[in-house]
Amino acid sequence: MSTAAITTKTFRHWLARSPVVGPLITLVVIFLLFSVRIPGFFSLRTVSNIINATTLVGTVTIGITMLMISGEFDLSVGALVAVGGYLFAFNTIDGGSPLLAIVLAVLVPALLGALNGLILIWTGMPSFIITLGTLSIFRGGVWLLSGGSLVQTLDRLPVYEVFNGRLDVLNDLLPAGANFRSAMLWMFGLVLIFQYVLTRTRYGNHVMAVGGNPGAARAQGVNVKLVKVVNFIISGAMAGVAGVLLFSQFRSVRVATGAGVELDAIAAAVVGGTLLSGGSGSILGGMVGVLLISTLRSGVVRLNIPFIPADNFEAVVGVTIVAAAVLNHWIRRRA
Amino acid sequence: MSSNGNDTPVVRMENIVKRFGTVTALDGVDLTVNQQEVLCLLGDNGAGKSTLIKILTGVYTPTSGQIYFEGKPVQIRTPADARALGIETVYQDLALVNLMSITRNFFLGRELVHRLGPFNWLDVKEMDRRTHDALADVGIEIRSPGEKVEKLSGGERQSIAIGRALHFGARLLILDEPTSALSVAETRKVLTYITNAKERGLSVIFITHNMHHARMVADRYTILRQGKLVGNYDRDDVTQEDLADLIMGVREV
Repeated sequence: MSTAAITTKTFRHWLARSPVVGPLITLVVIFLLFSVRIPGFFSLRTVSNIINATTLVGTVTIGITMLMISGEFDLSVGALVAVGGYLFAFNTIDGGSPLLAIVLAVLVPALLGALNGLILIWTGMPSFIITLGTLSIFRGGVWLLSGGSLVQTLDRLPVYEVFNGRLDVLNDLLPAGANFRSAMLWMFGLVLIFQYVLTRTRYGNHVMAVGGNPGAARAQGVNVKLVKVVNFIISGAMAGVAGVLLFSQFRSVRVATGAGVELDAIAAAVVGGTLLSGGSGSILGGMVGVLLISTLRSGVVRLNIPFIPADNFEAVVGVTIVAAAVLNHWIRRRA
Repeated sequence: MSSNGNDTPVVRMENIVKRFGTVTALDGVDLTVNQQEVLCLLGDNGAGKSTLIKILTGVYTPTSGQIYFEGKPVQIRTPADARALGIETVYQDLALVNLMSITRNFFLGRELVHRLGPFNWLDVKEMDRRTHDALADVGIEIRSPGEKVEKLSGGERQSIAIGRALHFGARLLILDEPTSALSVAETRKVLTYITNAKERGLSVIFITHNMHHARMVADRYTILRQGKLVGNYDRDDVTQEDLADLIMGVREV
């Protein structure tokens, strides 16, 4: 066997072992292609803008990916982002304890996530259908909670700076144009924690097994129902965190806040190598998927292609999802 | 381990009834497994073999009936209860998670971890080492414990599932149709594992459709038909033709 053949084989092995490698290569290639075509794209300003645009979907994707790996969907997260956003807003704008605001904004969506999981266990219905229903129910709850009104503030409270302030310590060290914000640190921190949980802990092993073959997992003593409920709680909690980050960024929240984020998150998870059927995937991959979609958005808008105006960006996302699904399937078979 | 001179059965199931809604899957079945014995559980499709085994392993709860383990009455409510008693099962349909590595499958549900305060993390190195050694110990050679199960052949997968059960099974090993999808050579291997398990002092329940395989390893037969016990027969008391007739209900022996 020649060295080249061995290298190819190792590379394939590497591709097969780490689902994040394929999407990561795609991300880098696409970024470089845009850099060649668009003057000024290759800059820290672009990089920081791409990342800043991902914090909402990125945080939600963490929970969605965990859940999808265990074989379930959560379409209700969009409404839970709004629940988290309002609870955080109500408890901070007129003073009050920021700590209580954060606890409520994360805990209530987490409990609603638990409700999704419990309905799944009690009824045995597909989570796709259950959460399609709870999406509307929770959105109705948001309406009741808010009276239908927008909540906003112009105050730059310290707690908002904690969740979405300029990271000047970092930006000042970097060349001009860098505009990194603290929301990025919260998101990446959570990504690392859950990537660790998924790949290095007993719980993560059970999540993979429950999605891969629930019968085999149960036969080996894994509590399949518990794993699913816990993942729904994680999914709800991450949506709540996203609500906190979102309000800290825009200092406004309305009833429709977070609408459509569930599909963006599922798309990002799939682009990042998570199987729609469960059992395989990674949190890092989901993050790469979010960054990939954000990079495409940024690049396509700046390319100014006549037949893909900024408003028609969804078509590009659609193409990406299909291409990623086909590519992942191909890698899986070949490697 | 007290296989010599201990005539308390490993397991005794008495008058087991299981109904699914209006369907009676098991209608007052008894089953006994003695120390260091290979019991073949025989019966046609739908005879209730798998249901009976899933009750013994905690996958189903019986509608009524009593289970004794080593002479003591026990309640087996979950697969974890069964494992705690030393019962290990290889299901034909629920063996391994194909998308996971051999090691992660081998230790699924009893992962080895490092601990520090409230945190725990997997001891992958030690699990890899033990997986490799445990499988080698029962004569199963694998290329790499990190390899995904989906890359293995049917026979290799079955071997790993059996190797896992042998490694962790303290008292009783249950094999549900382990040879149904295997080649002749692979089948011979699996039958060897059964004999080896018995020599190590374990008892085995071997569920099969194949009378020829049954005859090669069985000490005793228990035959079910349409959810009822047909009877228990010693190896030397029945011929292969008798077994076939008993399973199909053509005649009694």
